[in-house]
Order: sequence, then C-alpha cells, then structure tokens
Amino acid sequence: MVKFKLMLNKDKETEYLNEMAAQGYAMTGFFAGFYTFDRCRPGEYVYQVDITEGMFRVNNDYREFMWEMGVEIVCIWGMWVILRKKAAEGPFVLYTDVESTIEHYEKIKKMFKIATILELSLIVVELVGAATMENKADIGMPLGFACLLAAFVVAFIREISRVEGILRELRERTGAESPGKERKGKGLPSGFLSLGLILNGIGCLIPRAEEGGWLSILQGPAKWMLHGLALVLVIAGLVFTMRQHGE
Amino acid sequence: MGRQTPLTEALFYILLSVRKPNHGYGIIQDVEELTGGRVVLGPGTLYGAIQTMTARGWIRIYSEETESRKKKEYIITDLGREIFAEEKRRLEELLQNAAKMEEGTW
Repeated sequence: MVKFKLMLNKDKETEYLNEMAAQGYAMTGFFAGFYTFDRCRPGEYVYQVDITEGMFRVNNDYREFMWEMGVEIVCIWGMWVILRKKAAEGPFVLYTDVESTIEHYEKIKKMFKIATILELSLIVVELVGAATMENKADIGMPLGFACLLAAFVVAFIREISRVEGILRELRERTGAESPGKERKGKGLPSGFLSLGLILNGIGCLIPRAEEGGWLSILQGPAKWMLHGLALVLVIAGLVFTMRQHGE
Repeated sequence: MGRQTPLTEALFYILLSVRKPNHGYGIIQDVEELTGGRVVLGPGTLYGAIQTMTARGWIRIYSEETESRKKKEYIITDLGREIFAEEKRRLEELLQNAAKMEEGTW
C-alpha cells in the first residue's frame, strides 16, 4: 500500500507511523512524500523518527549501534532516519532525558534554518530569471516556481517556530530559561499563506493552451479563478498572521 | 578542558557503567539496575552520549568483535576518571550541605 503525505512535523509523523503499525501496516519505504506500507501483525512494531548529520546516509557507528540495540533502520530521507523496533522487545523511545531531547530538537531547528536559507536563495534565482527573461510570455514558469518555494519557506518557518516552542519548554524544565520570558516566535505565519502561495504557483505553471482551441477558452477563467482564490487565501493568511502578532 | 561538570545523570551513570569494559546494551542494563529502573537510557540518548564522551576522551573503544560485527565495548579513560572524581566531590559537597537541613542550623 502506498500513501501520499507531506509532513514536516516529525512528532506527527511518528504518531502517524505508529497508528498505521497499530492497524497492521508497517512502513517500509519513503520517497518524496510517498509512504510504502506492508502488512504486519497489528502493533508488531514501534516507529521512531531521528535526525542525523549525514544527507541520505548514516555513518557506520550509528548503523552498528542501532543494530546492536535491536533497532532496524527502515529508511533514510534527507537528514531524517525512520527507525523501528519489534514491540515485543520492550519499549522504544529514542531520547529519554531532557538534555538529549534538547540536542535532538536543536538539530532539527538547525536543519530547517539551513533549508529555509536554501529555498530563499532559490527564490531569488527564480525571480532574477523572471526579470531577465526575454520572452515575457514565459514568465509564468519562474514565477510559479518562486511561489511554490515561498510556500515551503512559510511551512519551514512554522515548523521552526513550533520547535522553538518545544525547546523553550524543555529549557524551562532544566532551569536554563525562566518561564514567562518574552515569547519570541509566537506569531506563526498562517497556514493559509502557504496554501495561497501554492495555488498561485500552480496558476502560473499552467501551460498556455494553443490559441483558438476549446482548451484555451476554458483555461483563461480557470486560471484567473485560481489566482483569485490564491489572492484571497494570501490576504487571509496575512491578516491572521498580523492579528497573532498584535495580541 | 573547561568546566564539564555537573554531569547529566545519563553521563554520570554511563561513566560508572564503563569502569569495566561494557557494550551498549550492557550499559543500558547496568544503568537500569543501578537506579532500580528509574533511569532507562533510550538508544538516541546513549548514542549521543557515547559519541560526545569518546570525542572528549572520557571513554574509548576497548574491543571490537569484527567477526560477529557485534558488541563494540567501551571503557573509561584516565581523563574520564578525573571528571568522575570531580563530579563525586561536587555531589559530596551537596550531600554534606543537605545534612544541614536536618540540623536546622547553619
């Protein structure tokens, strides 16, 4: 069975994989949002999601160590590692104290920060590409990609903000941060912003149909409806974001 | 070296568990036993701690069974023992001072 799901939140992902395993579907592979599942006995495995230093690989130490612990590396995607252990072999929690949990989330935060910077520079490249384009009729392409990338940036910033919240809570517990300190990053960019940017991007990317064909008659209104909806969503997103900041 | 103490509970108990050669799974079991089941190290926590302490030179690899490709054993180094002793002194001070609570006097 294959399921498509885009998740940046590793805690939600862990929850999802364990729910699936409880229903008798053991995750066996991942590729760009596509999760592959095999049948298993309900509750046969416990899943955990870890982050490592490598890209699409883990070092031998890590591999051997997990193997010794009876933990199976199911797959590696980017810096994420999906692990599982037979439930019969006892509980499976990766990080069991505050200090190492803080380190874990610090790594996640750093990864998303780097990803955000990368995406932002790609947006600049697309925009420069659009500005210097000779045939302005094709401008939709780079603009569309820029919009889609911007949607990712918004999603990444939301995730960074969530992780910062977790880190603050953990640090309060160790006494490293006093509770009630100014709540930086409280104003999340709204999810509507992401959705609007995605729709706008798709609108820009729709290829031009041949003149005079019946497709071109349909295409115009469809495209403008998409852009219109996108605009409404982006504005709603901005309003919600501003309101949060104001509170 | 810098101030490396106070140690986290995990580091403290891992150092104690590698006073004799010990492998990952053995460390988890020892720590669990020493604390009466209160501290159970997760593999992520233990892996990070071993990496950190190896890098700092507090522990080192004692043996590696290449044939069964299993059970890498670790042992404490002299530096590790120094750190542990320093932590022990700090804890003793805490305990001595804690006794004053019962005396009710300074």
